[in-house]
Amino acid sequence: MTTPTPDPAELQVLRAAARRASIARRLQGDPETALLQSIVDATVTLFDAEAASIAIFERDPDRLEFRVAAGEQGAGAIGLSVAPSKGIAGFVFSTGQPLALSDVTSDPRFDRKTAERTGYVPRSIAAVPLVEEHGRGTVGVLQLLDKRSSPTFSLRDMELLGVFAAQAAAAIHATRIQRDLDELLHQALGRLAGDELDAAAIEAIVSAATDGLDPDEESPFWTLVDRLARLQSLGERELGLVGDLLEVLVRYAAPTRRRT
Amino acid sequence: MTDALVPAWSEPFSAAARDRLTRLPPLETIDRDWAFGGATGRGVRVAILDSGLESDHPALHGRVVESVAVELDKAGEPHVVADDHGDLFGHGTACGGIILGLAPEAELVSVRVLGSDLRGKGPAFAAGLEWALEHGVRVANLSLSSKSEAMFGVFHELADAAYFRNVLLVCAANNVPGPSYPSLFSSVLSVAAHDEPDPWRFYYNPSPPVEFGAWGVDVPIAWRDGGMTVATGNSFAAPHMAGLAALLASKHPGLTPFEAKAILAAVADNPRR
Repeated sequence: MTTPTPDPAELQVLRAAARRASIARRLQGDPETALLQSIVDATVTLFDAEAASIAIFERDPDRLEFRVAAGEQGAGAIGLSVAPSKGIAGFVFSTGQPLALSDVTSDPRFDRKTAERTGYVPRSIAAVPLVEEHGRGTVGVLQLLDKRSSPTFSLRDMELLGVFAAQAAAAIHATRIQRDLDELLHQALGRLAGDELDAAAIEAIVSAATDGLDPDEESPFWTLVDRLARLQSLGERELGLVGDLLEVLVRYAAPTRRRT
Repeated sequence: MTDALVPAWSEPFSAAARDRLTRLPPLETIDRDWAFGGATGRGVRVAILDSGLESDHPALHGRVVESVAVELDKAGEPHVVADDHGDLFGHGTACGGIILGLAPEAELVSVRVLGSDLRGKGPAFAAGLEWALEHGVRVANLSLSSKSEAMFGVFHELADAAYFRNVLLVCAANNVPGPSYPSLFSSVLSVAAHDEPDPWRFYYNPSPPVEFGAWGVDVPIAWRDGGMTVATGNSFAAPHMAGLAALLASKHPGLTPFEAKAILAAVADNPRR
């Protein structure tokens, strides 16, 4: 199948939609990470543990990516990726079953390499799956390392961890659409086009639409968006003033643009 | 009316057949000695749908009689093949060790459904269960479940098939919300954890979906590479009930899953009568 060139007008619409979503994401910061961070912060405090972290399942290649972490020994985990079939996080992800192990370092299956990459090798570990209630099933894992008050985890610990995991899964569900802008476009196009477009064609259209959207930090446009984001904390009067100023600027700029 | 005119479903209850119907002794006279006394699990095959079994692990003392794995081809179609990879995680071996701790002469059949392509884990799990039902197992330990709503029908059919073939599915209950198949189906024996360190101690919950509670906190377990560790989770409670079910099946071979559940409930450690 040849890749059809998308209609310029359609592409324009897609590009506008992508740009709006991208601006919205930028303006709101990254609510998912902020929410997940607050969940691991609360987890580590409540359990008085050395570390808590959340890993999210990502595709191509399939992996669990540690997105947020908290606690004195947590920082090293952020950004790490592990294969979903590796280690305790991988097992919990695969089976959907919460699990806790004590004396982890003597457990040969424990992925010691990953632990050493974080600079911290725990003695005990509890992990629970993040399950989206009406969504994609298991989307990640919440992990807790070394509760200071006890070498093992109780039933109540596991239940509480499950509550935090449910919160994390809800946060992921709520913010997923923003994170998966590309996926959204893929799905929408797939549905609209039916059998007329193959995967490669859809891919081509999506990259055309989102091309150049990745914010170049130095570009004047994104600088402006960032400044607007900072305005959100202002009061109504100040916002009104900013709006008026922008209105004047737009009126001034419009004929200038026409001249060029 | 002749027997020939009786619908097939009524045949067991026809005048000629009903004299042969056996019944359980009164439940209040059933005790653990009646249920398990002298039983070793001999002659009972228990399938473990998990990460594989390390057949030379000391805790499994040579009781693994067969090992298969479910592999998915490029089209995502599952195929059951002989497996010599042992245990990829350690978890299956842990479950096997717990079962043999209670039923030392049971025969273990490893059905590895974990460790292959993660995208196809639901279909792989279902194919593994179907294989087990066709290969003479009496008890299947499922310390895992599928979260995919798309798998509801498939697992429902398999749970029914197991029930009608007198195969008891022992499933770890899940504490996380959302679908969980087949552990939420009524015909399976679903298990959550209690924290009393006694492999023989179990409770019946009269308010399902979770029907039984067995030891699942700080359980010493067999682990990969001949190792041992200590673990917590419903997935270690389930094999305790699977071990007891194997004992029951070895002593009372004809029991149906419904009868087995009733007997286990009757001999549970529930303090109130």
